[in-house]
Amino acid sequence: MSDQPFWAQEDHPKRPLRVENGIQIHSTRGTVARTWWSKRFLVVLEALGVGGRLHRGRSYARSGQIVSCVVDAGSVVALVQGTRPTPYKVRIGIPAWGKQDWSRAEQALADDAWYAATLLAGGMPTEIEDLFAGLGLALFPTSQRDLSMDCTCPDPTVPCKHLAAVFYLLAERFDADPFEVLALRGRDRETLLANLRRRRGSTAAPEAAVEDDSRPLGELLDDFYAAGALDLTRFAPAEPEPGALLEQVPELPIEVRRHKVRDLLRPAYDQLPK
Amino acid sequence: MLVVHGLWSPARGVVLWAEDGERPATTSRRSLRTARPHPFAVPASQLAGIHPGKQTSLTLLLPSRASGPVESPELVRRRAPGRRSAEVSLTPWTVPAVVVEPGELADPADDVRYGASVAHLRALAAFADDLAARGRVLPTLRPGPEARWRPVVQGLDAVARRSLVDALPPVARAEQRRSGDTAGHSPELLIDAALDSLVDAAVRERLALADTPVALVPPRRGRAPKALPATEAWLTALDGPDPRFEATERELATLADALAPWDAVTTEETGPARATFRLSEIGTLHDPADPGDDPLDQTGDGTRWVLEFQLQSTEDPSLVLPADDVWAGRADRLITSAQELLLAELGRAALVYPPLAGALRRARPEELDLELDEAHRFLTEDAARLLAAGFGVQLPAGWNGRRPLGLRLSVSSPAAPGVVTRGGLGREELARFRWTLAAGDEELDEEEIAALVAAKAKLVRIRGQWVSVDADALARGLDFLRRQNGRRGTGTVADALGLAQGAVDTPLPITSVAAEGWIGDLLGGTADRTLEPLDPPAGFRAELRPYQKRGLSWLAFLASLGLGACLADDMGLGKTIQLLALEAREREAEGERTDPTLDAAPGPTLILCPMSLVGTWQREAARFAPDLRVHAHHGPGRPRGEALRARLADTDIVVTTYGTASRDIEELEALPWHRLVLDEAQAIKNSNAAPSKAARRIVAGHRIALTGTPMENRLAELSSIMDFLNPGMLGTPERFRQRFAVPIERHGSPEAAETLRRITRPYLLRRLKTDPTVIDDLPEKIEITQEYHLTREQASLYRTIVDDMMEKIEDSVGIQRRGNVLAAMAKLKQVCNHPAQLLHDGSPIGKRSGKVARLEELLAEILAEGDKVLLFSQFTEFASMLVPHLSARFDQEVLYLHGGTPKKQRDAMVERFQSGDGPSIFLLSLKAGGTGLTLTAANHVVHLDRWWNPAVEEQATDRAFRIGQGRTVQVRKFVCPGTVEERIDALIESKKALSDMVISDGEGWLTELGTSELRSVFALGAEAVADD
Repeated sequence: MSDQPFWAQEDHPKRPLRVENGIQIHSTRGTVARTWWSKRFLVVLEALGVGGRLHRGRSYARSGQIVSCVVDAGSVVALVQGTRPTPYKVRIGIPAWGKQDWSRAEQALADDAWYAATLLAGGMPTEIEDLFAGLGLALFPTSQRDLSMDCTCPDPTVPCKHLAAVFYLLAERFDADPFEVLALRGRDRETLLANLRRRRGSTAAPEAAVEDDSRPLGELLDDFYAAGALDLTRFAPAEPEPGALLEQVPELPIEVRRHKVRDLLRPAYDQLPK
Repeated sequence: MLVVHGLWSPARGVVLWAEDGERPATTSRRSLRTARPHPFAVPASQLAGIHPGKQTSLTLLLPSRASGPVESPELVRRRAPGRRSAEVSLTPWTVPAVVVEPGELADPADDVRYGASVAHLRALAAFADDLAARGRVLPTLRPGPEARWRPVVQGLDAVARRSLVDALPPVARAEQRRSGDTAGHSPELLIDAALDSLVDAAVRERLALADTPVALVPPRRGRAPKALPATEAWLTALDGPDPRFEATERELATLADALAPWDAVTTEETGPARATFRLSEIGTLHDPADPGDDPLDQTGDGTRWVLEFQLQSTEDPSLVLPADDVWAGRADRLITSAQELLLAELGRAALVYPPLAGALRRARPEELDLELDEAHRFLTEDAARLLAAGFGVQLPAGWNGRRPLGLRLSVSSPAAPGVVTRGGLGREELARFRWTLAAGDEELDEEEIAALVAAKAKLVRIRGQWVSVDADALARGLDFLRRQNGRRGTGTVADALGLAQGAVDTPLPITSVAAEGWIGDLLGGTADRTLEPLDPPAGFRAELRPYQKRGLSWLAFLASLGLGACLADDMGLGKTIQLLALEAREREAEGERTDPTLDAAPGPTLILCPMSLVGTWQREAARFAPDLRVHAHHGPGRPRGEALRARLADTDIVVTTYGTASRDIEELEALPWHRLVLDEAQAIKNSNAAPSKAARRIVAGHRIALTGTPMENRLAELSSIMDFLNPGMLGTPERFRQRFAVPIERHGSPEAAETLRRITRPYLLRRLKTDPTVIDDLPEKIEITQEYHLTREQASLYRTIVDDMMEKIEDSVGIQRRGNVLAAMAKLKQVCNHPAQLLHDGSPIGKRSGKVARLEELLAEILAEGDKVLLFSQFTEFASMLVPHLSARFDQEVLYLHGGTPKKQRDAMVERFQSGDGPSIFLLSLKAGGTGLTLTAANHVVHLDRWWNPAVEEQATDRAFRIGQGRTVQVRKFVCPGTVEERIDALIESKKALSDMVISDGEGWLTELGTSELRSVFALGAEAVADD
C-alpha cells in the first residue's frame, strides 16, 4: 500500500498538466505508424498488451505532453509531462551495435546501393532485416527482453502511458525518416552516409547545403517592386501525361460499392487536359 | 496613369491594387501607430471597373518616407516630385484592393501599366493550371471536412516552383499578417499556399468545363441513403464548386488513414540535381562479320542496349555527370552531396520504373542492361513515365519517340516553274504522287520493307536508325501503299496541299512531303525567290523595287492557284503598292492583257482597312495606278442597293472600313467580289469580333491579307488570319489550341512551332527590313504622311476656334494681326493634338484624340518589330501628357527630353537610348532636341505636330538619319485631312516644287497670307472626322 492519500494515486483518473509548445504527433486519428518499419517497431510494445495504457499513451502523444525527446545511439531519452509538476523522465534503451558489427553492416550496405537509394528516397526495403540477420544483427527488437524501459512515474506497470507516448512519437519519427531506426542502433544519418561514401571508395566530404532563409522585407527596400528572372517554359515537361501520377500511387484500401477509388477517379484525370 | 500590382493573400486569394500618378504623392496624416490610408492608391471601386471583383482593403508594408509611400518604378507622374529626404523605411498602409478570379490576370487592360508582381502572379496561376492539366494532382482530405485537390510538385516542376519562390518580388509578400508584423509573408509558404488553392480551383474549373460530365461516384440502384458513406461524400465533393461534405468523426478517421499513402506522395524540395537516364548502344567485342553466338550482342551487329545513369544539375542543366564520376567523388565539388542525391534519385526512380531496382544491387551502380524488348518498352512506355515523374531521359540520336515509321509522299508537278501559264495551273491540276514508307526522313526500299515485315523484334535497325515496328500499323501502311500507288499515282495540287497540312487521315503518319517543281517551292516557302519577278503593267506609274516585283509575282502565283495569301512585309516596305500593281495587272485593257490566267476583266475588289487608311489607298491608287477606278465606300452618303450595284459596274476597287463592312454585311456579302483584301489584317485577330465575322462572310474569288506585325509570335492572330485566307486550314479553334497554342505558349515546344511554320509558310510572305536582299533595294529615308482623323470633340472645338479667331484677325492689322494669326495657328495645332491641351484642364488622355489613338497603333507596330522611335512635338504640355500615357499603354519607360532637362541628365538619356537594351520610345521637344544630338538607335522618326518650316523638321529628322545609321529611316508626319495641317502641308509641297526655297526660320511667312486665303486654310472639311 502506498502511504499517499488515495486521490494522489496514479490509477485514479486525473488530468495531466498542459505543456506549452510540447511535441505533438501529427496523426490525429486511427493508428500512428504508417510504414512497415515503424509498425514493426510498435509490434513489441503492442504485444505486451498493457491495454488502456497504450490508448492513454497515444492521447498523451497527440495532446503534446512530451516536452523533449532525444534519439541517440542505444537510447531514447524523453521528458513527459504527467499530473505532477515535474515531468517524468522516460528512457528506452536498446542495445547499440558494436564497432565491429557496424563495420560489417556498413560494408553490406555499401556493397548494395539499393538499400541506401531506397532509404534516401524515404523508404526502407523489407530485405534489410534479412541483410542484417545474415550478419547476426537484429534491426528491430523482437521481445521485451531486447528493450529496457524506465520511467520515473509512480505507475509500476511497464510500459506505462508515458513510455507508450514516447514509443508513438518514435514511430512517427521513423515514418518520416527511416534513418532514425539506424540512428537508434548507433549510426546517425550523417555518419552513416559519410562511412558509406568512404567504403564506396571516395573520400570527398560534402559541403553543408546552404540554408537560404528568406530575408525580411525591411532589407529589400531597394528592389521592392522587382521580380527575379522567371521563365517557366524552360522547365515545362514536353509530354503531358495526365493519368501518369494516378497510376503510380499505391492502391487505396477504400472502395465505393466495389469500385476502386483509382478507377472512379480515372475519368476525371482523363478530362483534365482538355 | 495607373500602375497595378498583385499579390496572393492567403485569406482572400488573388488580389490587385493600384497606384495612380494623378493622386497626391504625400499624406498629411501622421500616425505611427496604425496604418494610414495610402495617399495615391486607386479606390477599389475604380479598380473594379478595370478588373471586376470583390472590393476589399489590405494592410501592406511598403517602403516609405515620412510623408508617404515610395512610388513603384513603373509609376510616371506628369510632374516629377521635388527632392525628398532619403530616409526610407518599411511602413504599413491601408490600401483599397480588389479580389479577382485568377483568369482575370490573363486579360490585361490597355491603358494601365502592370508591376512585375502581376506578371509573377500570372505565371503562378498558369503554373497551377498547367499542373492541373497534366494531372499532377491528388485528392486529399482537409479539416472542415473538405475534399481538396492538391498539387504534386516533383522533378522539373519542383525546379519551376523553386524559381517561382526565388523570383517572388518583395511587394508580393507585403501583406501584413497581423498588427506589428514587419517581416511579411515567407516566400515558400506563400507560394505553396497559393498553389494549393489555385490548383484546387483549376481542377474544379477544368472538370466543370469537361465535354462529357464527370461522375466520380458509381451509379446507385435504388434511393440514396440520407447520409452518404464518407468515401462517397468525399468523392462527390471533389467535383463541383463546394468542397465541403459531411461525415462522422469515426468515418473521417478511417478515410484519413486510408488516404495516408497518397498524402505521403509529397511535394518535395528541389534537389540541386536530378537523375537522367541515357539509353545508348554499346559496342561489344563481337565482330559483326562473324555469325558466331555472342551473348552480349543483342542487335546482330555487335552492339547491346544499356541505360546509363547520370546526374544533371538543375541550376545548370548543361552540367551532366556520369554515375562513375559521382561514385568516384569527382562530382562533389560541382554538386553538393552528389552521391546521396544520385542514390535518392535512383531510389525514387525505381518506384516509377521497377526494373531499375535490379541494377542497384551493387556498390556503384552505373547502368542497367536491357534486352531488345526491354529497350523497346523503354522507348515506347517507360521513358515517358520517367519524364512525367520529373526525371531526365536521353534517347539515341535520331529517335523521335513517337512516330519513327511513317509515310513519305513525293509529288512532281508537270508545269515548268517560274511561269504562270494560262489555265494549265490550278488547284485541280493533276500531279504525280508517289507514296513510300519512310523511317524519319529516309525512304525505305523494297528490301528494307521486307526486313521490317520479317522482323520478330519490335526494334529493327534500318540504315543505322532504330525503328519501332508495330506489326498492325505496318500492315495497314503497306496496304495503303499498294492501293495508292497501284491506282494511278496521281492526285491534284489541292490534295498535295491538304496532305502537307496534315488535314487527311492516313494509316501511318505522313513524315514528309517532298515535292519537286513549283509545288515544292510553294510548300517550302521559297516560291517568291524561284518565281520569275513580274513587272507592273505599262500604265503603272512607279518603278517597283526588285523585292516588290518578287512580291507581285508571288501574289499573282497564289491568286492563280486560288490560294489565299498573306503579305506580311515589315512596315515601310510597300505592301500597298504591291497590291495595287497586282490589281492593275489583272485589269489591263483587253488585248494588252499580260496576265494569261484571266479570260475577262475581273469584277471589283473589296479592300477593308481602318478608317485612317481609306485616304491613303485612294491617294496611292490615284498616284501609281490612275487607271484603277476607286470608290471609297463610307460615310452617311454611301450608295446602297441598286445605286451601289450601278456604281460597282464601273469600279475596280472599293475601299471601306472594317466598321462599315460590319454594318453593311448583308449588302456586301450578296455582291460578287473578285477579291477581298484585309489591310492591317491584325484587325481580325479576335475571331469572334464583328470585323472578323464580316470578313469571313464576304464571298470572293480570292483573299489577301496585308499586315506588318510579326504574326508568327501571335498565335491567335495567325490562326484567325490563316483561317480567313484558307478556311479550315488549321482545323477548329479547339484543335488549333491543342495542337499548337498550348505546346508552343505553355511548353515552348520547338516541334509544334516548326510544324506550324511548315504548314503556314506556303501562304505567308514576310520580308524584313534587315534582310540583306531587301535592304540593298531600299532608299535610305522613306517619308510618309501619317493620316488620322479628329474625334467629334476635337472637331467642334476646332470650329469654335476658327470662328472666333477669324473674327479677331479680320478686325486687326499689322503686328496685332500677325499675333492673332500665329495664335490661331497654335490653338488649331493644339486641338489637333488633344482637346485637353487646348482646354488646359489636366484631364486624363482617354480616347479623346484621334491623333493619340493613331499614334498608339503606329507605336504598337514599331515596338512589335523591335525598333526604336523618336517622337517630336513643339508643345511641352502635350509631351508631358503623353509620357505617363504611353508608358502605361506600352508598359515601358518613355524617355522625355525638354528645355528644362539638365545637361547631365540629357547625356545619360542619349546614352541609354543608344545602348542596345535601353528604352525604345524617346519623346523630344522640337526646340530642345531638334539639334545636336545623335540618336541613330532610332530608325523611326515621328513628327507629332508640324512646325511649318521644312528646314527645322529636317534638322530634327537628322537626329536619327545621320552618320552611324545603318538602316533605312522612316519619317512620318501626322496630318489630318480637311484641317490646317493638310492645307499647309500642301502649301509647303507646292512651294517646294516651285523653287527649292528655304523659308526663313519660324512660321512667320504664314502671317503674310491674305484673309480669304487664311479662311480656306483654316476651314474644317467634312473629311476631318472619322465616320466610325
